[in-house]
Parts: sequence; structure tokens; C-alpha cells
Amino acid sequence: MKEKWYQEKTKKKNGPKAERKKLKKHGGPTEEDARKRNPKAFAVQSAVRMAKTFHRSQDMKTKKHHIPLVDRTPLEPPPIVIVVVGPPKVGKSTLIRCLIKNFTRQKLGDICGPVTIVSGKKRRLTFMECNNDINTMIDLAKVADLVLMLIDASFGFEMETFEFLNICQVHGFPRIMGVLTHLDSFKNNKVLRKTKKNLKHRFWTEVYQGAKLFYLSGMVYGEYQLQEVKNLGRFISVMKFRPLVWQTSHPYVLVDRMEDLTDPELVRTDPKCDRTVSLYGYLRGTHLKNKGQVHIPGVGDFQVADVNFLPDPCALPDAQKKRALNEKERLLYAPMAGVGGVVYDKDAVYIDLPASHVNQQQMRPTTELVQSLIDTHATLDAKMAASKVSLFSGSATLEPEDIGEQKKEGLQEESVWDPNTQRERRKVVFTTEDEEDVSGSSDDEDGDSEDSDQEDQGEDDGEKNLSTFLKEARAKCVETTKTGAGAPPVKRPKLEERKGESAEVPAFADSEDDLEVSEDEEESGGEEEAGRAGDSGHCSEEDEEESDDGEEESEELCCEFSILLFLSAGGLKWKEGLQQKASDAFLRQQQAAPNLRKRVYGSVVEVDDSEDEEQELGGLFRVSRPQNSKKFQANAVDSSRFSPDASHNWELEEMLNSIRDCFVTGKWDESQDAATLLKEDGERGEAIHSDDGSSCIACDQQNSENDDDDDDQEESVVKVDDKEAMKNKRLEKKQRLKERFDSEYDDGDATYFDDLKEEMQKQAELNRAEFEDVDDETRVQYEGFRPGMYVRLEIPSLPCEFVTNFDPHYPIILGGLGSSEGNVGYLQMRLKKHRWYHRILKTRDPLILSLGWRRFQTMPLYHIEDHNGRHRLLKYTPQHMHCGASIWGPVTPQGTGFLAVQTVAGVKANFRIAATGVVLDLDKSVTVVKKLKLIGYPEKIFKNTSFIKGMFNTVLEVAKFEGASVRTVSGVRGQIKKALSTPAGAFRATFEDRLLMSDVVFLRSWFPVTIPQLYNPVTSLLLPVGQKDSWAGMRTLGQLKHDLGIRNKPNADSLYKPVVRAQRHFNRLQIPKELQKALPFKSKPKQLQPKGKTPRDLQRPSVIREPHEKKVAALLHALSTVHNYNRKKAHTLQHAKHKQFLQEKGKQEEAKLQRQKEARKKLYRAMGQADQKNQRSSLKGET
Amino acid sequence: MASQGLAYDGCNFFRQRLVLSTLSGKRVKISNIRSKDDNPGLRDFEASFIRLLDKVTNGSKIEINQTGTVLFYMPGLLHGGSVEHDCNMQRSVGYYLEALLMLAPFMKTSLKATLRGVTNDHTDPTIDMLKSTALPLMKKFGIDGEGFDLKVVKRGMAPGGGGEVFFSCPVRRTIRPVQLTDPGKIKRIRGVAYSVRVSPQMANRIVDSTRSVLNQFIPDIYIYTDHMKGANSGKSPGFGLTLVAETLNGSFLSAEMSSTPQGQGDPMLPEDLGRNCAKLLLEEVHRGGCVDSSNQSLTLLLMTLGQQDVSKVLLGPLSPYTIEFLRHIKDFFQIMFKIEVQKPSEDKRKGGDKVLMTCVGVGYSNINKTLK
Repeated sequence: MKEKWYQEKTKKKNGPKAERKKLKKHGGPTEEDARKRNPKAFAVQSAVRMAKTFHRSQDMKTKKHHIPLVDRTPLEPPPIVIVVVGPPKVGKSTLIRCLIKNFTRQKLGDICGPVTIVSGKKRRLTFMECNNDINTMIDLAKVADLVLMLIDASFGFEMETFEFLNICQVHGFPRIMGVLTHLDSFKNNKVLRKTKKNLKHRFWTEVYQGAKLFYLSGMVYGEYQLQEVKNLGRFISVMKFRPLVWQTSHPYVLVDRMEDLTDPELVRTDPKCDRTVSLYGYLRGTHLKNKGQVHIPGVGDFQVADVNFLPDPCALPDAQKKRALNEKERLLYAPMAGVGGVVYDKDAVYIDLPASHVNQQQMRPTTELVQSLIDTHATLDAKMAASKVSLFSGSATLEPEDIGEQKKEGLQEESVWDPNTQRERRKVVFTTEDEEDVSGSSDDEDGDSEDSDQEDQGEDDGEKNLSTFLKEARAKCVETTKTGAGAPPVKRPKLEERKGESAEVPAFADSEDDLEVSEDEEESGGEEEAGRAGDSGHCSEEDEEESDDGEEESEELCCEFSILLFLSAGGLKWKEGLQQKASDAFLRQQQAAPNLRKRVYGSVVEVDDSEDEEQELGGLFRVSRPQNSKKFQANAVDSSRFSPDASHNWELEEMLNSIRDCFVTGKWDESQDAATLLKEDGERGEAIHSDDGSSCIACDQQNSENDDDDDDQEESVVKVDDKEAMKNKRLEKKQRLKERFDSEYDDGDATYFDDLKEEMQKQAELNRAEFEDVDDETRVQYEGFRPGMYVRLEIPSLPCEFVTNFDPHYPIILGGLGSSEGNVGYLQMRLKKHRWYHRILKTRDPLILSLGWRRFQTMPLYHIEDHNGRHRLLKYTPQHMHCGASIWGPVTPQGTGFLAVQTVAGVKANFRIAATGVVLDLDKSVTVVKKLKLIGYPEKIFKNTSFIKGMFNTVLEVAKFEGASVRTVSGVRGQIKKALSTPAGAFRATFEDRLLMSDVVFLRSWFPVTIPQLYNPVTSLLLPVGQKDSWAGMRTLGQLKHDLGIRNKPNADSLYKPVVRAQRHFNRLQIPKELQKALPFKSKPKQLQPKGKTPRDLQRPSVIREPHEKKVAALLHALSTVHNYNRKKAHTLQHAKHKQFLQEKGKQEEAKLQRQKEARKKLYRAMGQADQKNQRSSLKGET
Repeated sequence: MASQGLAYDGCNFFRQRLVLSTLSGKRVKISNIRSKDDNPGLRDFEASFIRLLDKVTNGSKIEINQTGTVLFYMPGLLHGGSVEHDCNMQRSVGYYLEALLMLAPFMKTSLKATLRGVTNDHTDPTIDMLKSTALPLMKKFGIDGEGFDLKVVKRGMAPGGGGEVFFSCPVRRTIRPVQLTDPGKIKRIRGVAYSVRVSPQMANRIVDSTRSVLNQFIPDIYIYTDHMKGANSGKSPGFGLTLVAETLNGSFLSAEMSSTPQGQGDPMLPEDLGRNCAKLLLEEVHRGGCVDSSNQSLTLLLMTLGQQDVSKVLLGPLSPYTIEFLRHIKDFFQIMFKIEVQKPSEDKRKGGDKVLMTCVGVGYSNINKTLK
């Protein structure tokens, strides 16, 4: 009604939308119409394109699918871990405080350790602050479900933010939400908007497009604005999380409480002794098995001594009806921060008493006394009991419980201070629980349960001598077993009387067996002898032994029967009464069968008897007891064959009948019987025929009703029960029909994916349903502790620094290890140097890896795979490429990501993550090789064969390399043939060409490299408070040299020297005279140098002539000129004459040659003719 | 590293311990091996088994003391690949193969094993039986596909041996959980009657006598006769029979018997053998369950090593070997099975008590398989 009114009100009366609606109502043009009107427009244009689009759309659809996984989330999930990260002074603690206040209305001062709160009806949150230490960042990234990444907007991104993002990326990406703080420092609105936008986009590229970024605009009285915090809280409480591979496959606990269980006396005497510590927290991830192995990042690997689950300290509200939580349900639990008040342990209650609180109470008479009472962890007589006497120095101590190993049954007491009544109350402690505890873990005996145990033992007089002690121990054993078993003792019928055989008395590991009095022991011993004689070793000793105790299994009994009978039998006497016996056995087995579980696993909590055996008394006397641990015949034949039950006689008809229905020829079940199936089919066929499909069910109902009516008519008297049964049957049938109909008509388009999903769904349902109605104590044994439980893990032998240097600001994580993840081996990984890391990494330099739960230092070898699959060693990581890395480290499943840092100490300005990668392979042997060139020199050279020396040292070495190919530096290839006798190591080799004596021959080979076996866990949690971020492991070679000031003396040849070039002198360019002459003037070399001064000694005095002399000289000159002229003239004439003469001579010569030629021609012709004639005549002569 | 080890006494269940140790990565120390015996220490067949284990693993460390009474085994990684092994004649190939079946799916590379020795004898399940029951069983756990094969190349009877078996198995990263709660009714019985170095007529005589017993229940019986000759017939004469009953839901129950080895004990008539073997099968049917008695431990192991889901399987009465195996599983994997006994109702004639075993897998993933 209301809804209609609402619709009426909101209906649009006018506007385009209303118009369209109106049109539609009146039958306006719809798409259907358009198709009809213009069919061509909607016709298939191209079949190919259509196929392509279809293909693509299908591809896109299938791409969206993820492989369906079985949903293993528990019904009551553990609190969500919210890690608040950011650089210092960004407002992390303030934000946590505000959020806690928002959810619980409580103020928390110092945020120490994880803080768990109830945020809603179905959700709890655990806040954890992450400080700026890279160790903490790595550890918390592995357990975080949600990361609140605080960013100082006034400063921008800092290196820590990016480092944390990269850590997250490697270890599986949890949800990340950015929170911008310090936004009030922006005065200019435009700048603010711009900054926000820039930061948002950068954040998006790092996380994913559209990642949520919150803005906390300003502070009000030192807190963030209420509305903004509320919004953030809302976002957190509706957030969904994706399962991360590592987290869902490993159990882990983020520890929120720690108690030191070590004996205070032990600590007093040796402050550095190993501690037993119990750690508490919500179990997350997956099921945790008891006594498993855990890794505590920053401490090491440990064996869990015991796990218990405790009542949830921060439970979800029970009633789910209300919308909001009331004040009482808004719980807050943070024991490390001192909140939580009363904490309950397995066997004690701890009450938090702050110092100020104590001082306020004036009522107390003696504060010191009470204080001292609070301080002591054990009562006085407990201490008495705990004190030990050593007979000889160096021998083991004699403990009171050794002497009087008696235990008082019933109730014990423990004093607890009651704050309400201001008095010491005596709390009742039930011993049964304790006993279980003791037996559950042998370590407990000297652990926490000691006080209660030893208390009463101390009361016993300690002067009992050893013989009585043994007796008493024995009696006690019987006593406890008697009290332990609730069922009345069932006496086993005596089969045969064979008393007197004093075989070794079998021991009873199982304290709940009820028949263990000495007289029976003898008998059972005897029987056991008999059993062993006959059986072929298939039956273990324990089986028989247990069958003595009244928990018989049919097959064993029968086996025994047969054996006994064989023993007694001479003839066929044993046949009589066999069936009677068989039926007896059957009946007994009917009664005893539920104890099969006990038979297999022993009682619920097993007694660890190996401990007892090894027990020594004061280091002097060994307690001699019947061998308890010898549960079975240790050296029997190891065969899986199961010998048949001898009591079954397959000759008998009765026996044969007992298995008739196992065959298809036998009788079938009601539901599966062929007749009923046929009938059903007929009905169905009818239904389908009579109906046109849609209302099949209704029709069927009618049919069945008709049937019913018919039945009614036939049988007038029908009992009420019958009617009910009929009704049920009918309903069942209807359901079946409906299912069949659905499967035929609806599930037409079910794909493989849907099937797979359905299968997973079914499995998940089965997983939930299987152990739902089992109580937790038992369930824990089958499944392990399930995630969501609040567990207490007891870990022995933790280093004392863990306790003494405990700092709640650092997270303690217990990471469960899978099978064989506790071992160490070689790992092959793919590694890439981080592109923001500014140096390349060197092979064999120690590197700190974060892999799985662990942080450890190791020495990787980098290598690259050659095209033939060889792993070649690299000296350094490539700059921008993946390479392989082999390390010696903890075995971790393949596909696990890791990151590497060079150092975890201190803060550096640079980006610290050196490399990231993934584990590829585990191997126990190494396959990395490096190149090795062996060099030799020719000793003797024949044609293509040479003797090579100097490559090997012995004949044996050569033999190993026979047939290997060698090469010279110049590229001549060859092959090693055979070793020579002398010199040792020389060999004969053939080459493709003749070698020279100066050639160098080399053999290229590959040498396997050993990986240094360094596995050094980073034990940062053990460092003193305040120095936890200063863990320094093995230094790199470079660092060592730098620190010690060592410099390698370089090879002098390898050093660079200043380049000294010799001055070169070039000769002058000599131009030949001829060329000089031919050159044009401008290119002619110029004699540019001025003529030097003629030296004085060469200077000649100038001659000054007399006038007469002048005349003479002039005359002579004139005469010589005339003479020269005449001579020149004559010479020209002569020349011309000679020329003519030569011409003449030439002509003559030519004529002469011509003449001679003619003559020769004539002569040759004559000669030729004569020859011819001669030849012809000779030919004639011959013929 | 604080990886803990386990310690045991005596040589019984030797294979279980070593196999579980290899799978779980926990080291194991077995002491007092036949220490009180006249002939103390490990037997030859156990030494041979250790050698086989060394062949299929990489980096295992095995230390045995001088007398052979103490064995320390630190498991390496399962490697697989092609393995050839001459099994000791004291035990049949089945002894070795049972362990290999457990290990094979978790190797680095798929296993191709050639085992030589005695293929059929009294103490251990024979190859024919493992082939017809264990392989289909493993298929239900998702161990399937190309190269999952068990072949009898040569048959070798008990004292002399000379047989050869080829076994290959693909590797798996995870094992599927199973729900085998309804065995269904037996629809057919198949079998192999084999004879080597005796008259081929022996096999026919076995078949006839077997049919005479089983025909009372079901007509669909076919028993193959397998007579191997020449080089394929091993070194000793003998004959035997393996029977397999297949149910509607695809579970297999089997029984087998072979002739007494030459020169050991009274010879057996083939007719007797056939009849007794048929009775053994009836016994097996009486026990019932989805898995036959010799494969119980293999089933439980694969359930344990499954993903972290609930697996259920219906078994017949637990054999002592299985009971010890369950204890060992608890030691090595901290897994306890929920054991429920199902009583047969009065009117139904379906044999004896059944045991419903339920467990949650450890979430084991094959860490040996290389990531590509």
C-alpha cells in the first residue's frame, strides 16, 4: 500500500520521459516495430563479421572467469587485521585512536601491540600500527588484510610508502586504502585541489585505477573530524577481502599477548636460560595442527609444544536481531596496551593491576605483602616441591615427584586474589584437567602444571624407598585407569587356560583400558604368546593386546580363535560349535565396535611413555619398568596384505547369503529398485504427456492426489502414521520430479564453469557440515584448530632475549609451516633487480631475503639460462632483465614471491628494496656452471696432428676429455685424440689445419659452481629495545673492505697510465725536379727563406778594376760573344745537316728491308714448294 | 633449523615410515632393527628398497650403522624421471611398487620406472592386482591422464624372478578430495589366470573352478588366461589367479592367489587355487567398502594429502597394516581420521561392518614440481 502511494507520488507527469512513457503506453514505435518496419537495417550484413563479434564477446566473457575455489572461510572469521602504515609523524596513532573511539567509545592512550575491537554484528577488527622499520613493514605486509596507508599531503609521497607498496606486491596484495592527512596545512584552495589530484593519480598507478583514497581534512582538539572518521569506519566495516594465496594456505597468529612460563627459580639461577613462553592470538589463515612447526619472523623456527583454544576474549555478540551494538558488546581487547582487565588462561586467571590502582587502595593492610604475593608466580610449597637435590655434582637432580610419584585424586586449591571482597580466595582447580594436560605434552611436566602437580607431591613424605616407589607407581597407574574409564569392566570370556607362562607382561599405553589387574595380565601374556606363534606377522602386537582388554574386533578375535583351535586341534573337533562361536564373536563385536577410534589412536590424549622410559633417578638409577613403548611386534613382516577371516566358511549357504545383495543380481533398495524406477518413469511420462510443460508440477500433484484417492478407496482404514509416510513419500516424489524437470528445461546453458563452481560449492557445504555438530575438543583433533579461534601456543626453548627484549610495538607473528617447509635446501628463483634500486647486485654478496614467513640472509648466485638450458653464472645481475638466482635457504613452495634488501639496519634515503622475484624450483643439487678455458701449447707439430702439452696434468685427466673439441686462438678447430705417455698430461690432437708453434690451444668447458650454504635468519626481534632496527648480518665484500680500509693491490699492468705520445718527425716533402718544373708557378715550391748572411770568412773582398783592365775585360767580353754566336750558328747548321743525313739513311734502310723481305718471301715459297714436292714424292714412293 | 625427527623401533612398517618421511620431509630414525635376531640388521630387500628410494629422490641422506640395526633417513626431494631398479628376490615387485604408487604423483618429473624381479608371489599384492585396483583408485583422486600406466613386460614367479614391470605416472600439484561413500553393487567380475613355464592348460583349469564358485552370484564373469612364453616367462614355473569385482560406482575389489613357489611347500592344484581364490574374493566382498583391503593405506594417504577439504571413504574392516598406517599419518601429518563404524542392517545382506573414514586434507601441494 505504502509502496504504491510512493510510486504514485514519484511518477512523472510531464517532461520528455513522461512523453516517452505515454507513447509507449499507446503503442508507440518500439524496437520491435523498427525491426518490422525496416528489416534491411537489421539484417545480417556480413556473416564473417557477425561471427567475429560473437567470438569476441564470448572471449571477453570467459576472460572474466576466475578459477573457482572452495570457499573455506570459517563461519566465525577472525578479526580483520588492519595495518596502519606511514612515515613517522603522519598521524598513525591518532587515526587508530580515533577509529577505536569511533567504534567502542573508549579512549586508548598508547597503542601497543594489536588492538582488537568489535566493530559490528559480524565483524571484528584488529588494528596494528606499523613503525618505520623495514622488518616490521615486511612482517606486517604478510598478515595484513587491509592496509591504511597514511600519506602526509603537505609533504607528498615518501619512500616508505613506495617501499611498503612494493612489499605488499610481492607477498600478495592485501586491500590498500590511502588516507591523506595534514590537509589543513594548505591555505590555498586551488593548490589543495591540485595536490589532491596529483597524489590520487600517483596512488592509482601504484595500487589500481580507482583505489580508494580518503581525505582527513583537519584536526579538532588533536583528533580527526568525527564525521570523516565515521565515514572511514563505515568503509572498513563493509569492505570485502580477497583471499591471498600464502595466507589461505598457512595458519598464522598475530600475537596479542605473551606470558613467560619459565620456572622463576630457573630464571633466577640462570638469567640466560631458554624460556618457555605461551603466546596468544586469533588463529588466521587455515587450520593449525597441534605440535606443528612455526616460524616467528625475527626469532626463528620453533616446535610448538602445545596448542589450546581459549574462550574468545573479544567475542561477537550472540543475538543478531538488533541493528546496532549496545555498549556492552562494543568490546576492546588489547592486552599489550594494558586493556582487557581480566584475562583467562587455560588454568589461571590474570588480573591487570596497574601501579596507581594499587596505591589507591588504602584498605589493604600491608601493600608490600600483597605486592610480593602478586610478584611470586608460585606458592611456597610449590617452590619447595620444585627444589631439587643433586646427589653428585654434575648428575641429574632428584626431584620430589621421582621419590613419591603419587598423586592425590580429587580437588586441589589455588589461591587467587579477589579484588571485590579484598581477600584471598581459594580457587578450586580440578585435577582431571591437569592430568590430561600432563599426559598431553611431556614438556608440561616441568612447565606450568608443575605447581599443581608438585604441590601435593610435596605433601607426601619424600622418604619412600625405591622399591615402594615402583610399586606405588604401578598401583597408581592401575588406579588412574580405573577411575578414568567410565564403563563397567567387561570381562573377556576365557578361551583357554594357559596360566603359568611368565612371558614379559605387555604394557598398557592406553590408560582407559579397564581390565588390567595382575592376574589377567598373566593370562593375556599367555594368549599373546599363542597369538604370535600362529600369526604370520600381519597382526601387530598391540592389536592382540588390546583385544585382551575387551575391545575386540571381529577379525582379530576370529583370527585368535583359529589360532587357538589350530593349536588344540588334532582332528575336526574344532568344527563343532564354530558357528556358535562366530555368532558370539559377532555379538561381542557389536558391543565393542564404537571403540575403533580408540583402538587406532589410543585414548584421546596419549601418554607419552618414551619419556618415562628414559627417566633417570638422580642420574644414578634407571627406573626399570616393563617396556611400555613396545606396542607392536617390531620386527614382523611388512606387508599390506590382509589375511582373510578364518571363521568365514564360504562353503556354507548361510555365509554365501550374507553377501547376496552386494551383487546386481541381489535385492535392491526401495529407491533404486528397477520396479519402482520403472513406475516412476511411467508416471513421469504420463505427466509429460498429459501436460504441455509449463504446469507439469501442478498436474503431477493432481495425479498423485488421484492416486491417493484411489488408495483411500481401496483401503478404508489407514493409520495416521501411514498417512504421514505417504505424504512424505509424495512430497519426495514431487521434489524429484521437479528436479528432473528443472534439469531438463532450465539447465540447458550450464557450462563447464558452472559445473565446476557448483562442485566447489558442494565441497564447501560438505566441509562446513561435516564437523558442525561435534564439540570443539574433538573437532580440533580432526580438523586442527580452525581459523577464528583464540588460541594459546606454548613454545619451549625460546631464546631469553625474546622475553627480556620484548617490545610490544613490534609485531610477533607465528607463521605455521607446511610439511617439509621446515627444511633447508637449494632454491632456484627468478629475480629482477628493482628498477628503483640504484646499484646492481653482485654474485655471492650476502642479501637479505623475505620469503614465505621468513627473513634471512643468504648468498645468492645469479645465473642466466642459455638457449640450450644451461645455467651460466653471472657476476652481476643484469640491469633491466630477469635473471635466475640460486640460494641455499628454507624450502618454500614454488610460486612464492620474495623480495630482497641489502640491509635492514637503519633508514636510508634511497629506495631499499633491491630485488624482487619468485621461487621457481626446489632442488637438492646445483646446476649453475661457469665457463672454464683450459689452455695448452703445441709441443710438436706434424701435418694436421699436433702434440699439445700443458693443458692437463695426468693421463687420467686427458682420458676424461677424449673426443672433446679444442680450438686455437686463430680459430683452427680440432679434437683431442689420445693421451701421450710423456710428458704427463700431453695429448695428441688433430686439427683442420697445420698449427704454428706460436698458437695457443684452448678447451672450452663448464665447471659447476657450489652455492655457499649460508642461511642466516634475521633475528631482529631479539635485539634490545630501541635497537631493533639495527640488525646487521654478514657484510658484503665491498662493505668489509670499506670498513677495514683494505684495498686490493691492482695488477700494475691493468692500471691506466697517462698516455705519452712520442713526437713524430716528418721529412720535408721532396718534389722531384722534373715535377717542379712542370708545375705552374703558383704551385711551385717557393724558396721563401731569405738567403742567410754569408759568413765572414766566406765573404770575399770585392774587386775593383783599373780602367785598363776594364777595357780589356770589355773587349774580351765582346770577342767571346762574337765567338759564341758563330759557334752557335755552326752548331745549328751541323744539326740540320745531320738530320737530313739521318733521314736519308732511314730511307735507305727501309728499302733494304723491303728488298730482304721480298727475297725471303721468294726463298720460303721455293722451300715450301720443295717440301711439298718432297712429301708428295715420299708418299708416292711409299705407295 | 629445528626440523624435528621421528624415532621408531623395529623394522615393521618400514616402507610406511620411509614413504611418509619422504612426503612430509621429516627425518626418521629407526633403531633396533632385528637387534635380537640371529641375523640382525636390515634384510636385502629392505636395502634394495632404500636404494630404490635413493634413486627416485634427490639429496636424501641415509645412514646405516655397521650392523644394520639403526637407520637414519633424511629425505630429499622427490625427483622421478626414468628409473630402473633390480628388486630383490626376497620380496616381489609389489612391495616396491606399493611405495612408488604413493610417491609417484608428487615427483618433480613424471616417473617412468622399470622394476625387475619377482612379479607374483604370496606375501605382497601382485602387479596384476595393483594394476586392476590401485590405478582406477588413483584416478578418482585426479591422478590421471597420459602416461599413467602399469605394464607387465615379463612375468617372473616367486623363487627365480626374472619378471619386469613398467610403471609410469604423471605428476600432480594437488590431489582432489573424494567422497566414496557408496560402493554400489557388483556388476561384473573380471580376472587374469596366468601361468608361466607350466602347461597352458593350468590357466583353463583355474578358470573353470573359479567360475563354479562365482557363478552362484553373477553371470558376468570373464577370466582372461595369460600364458607367457619364452623370454617373457621369467625363471620359475608357476601359475596364479587375480580376480577383480567391479561395482556400478566404479570401485574395485580384488583377490588373488598364486601357486606355491617351486621347492617350497606342497604343490597346489590349479582347481584348488581357483576355488580358494574365488572364496578370497567373496571374503573381500564380505568386507566390502569402496576400496579393497590392500589399497586402504594408499587411499588414506591420498585423502590426507588432499586439499583442505573433507574427504570421505567407506572401507571394510581396517587391516592391522592400515591401523598402523593411520598412526603413522598422525605422527607425520598430525591428521586424525574420524572413524565411524557402520553396522549392516538386519535385512540387508551386504556383508560385514563397514568403516566410514573422514578426514580433512593437509593441503599438501607438490613442492617438487617445477614452475614454468
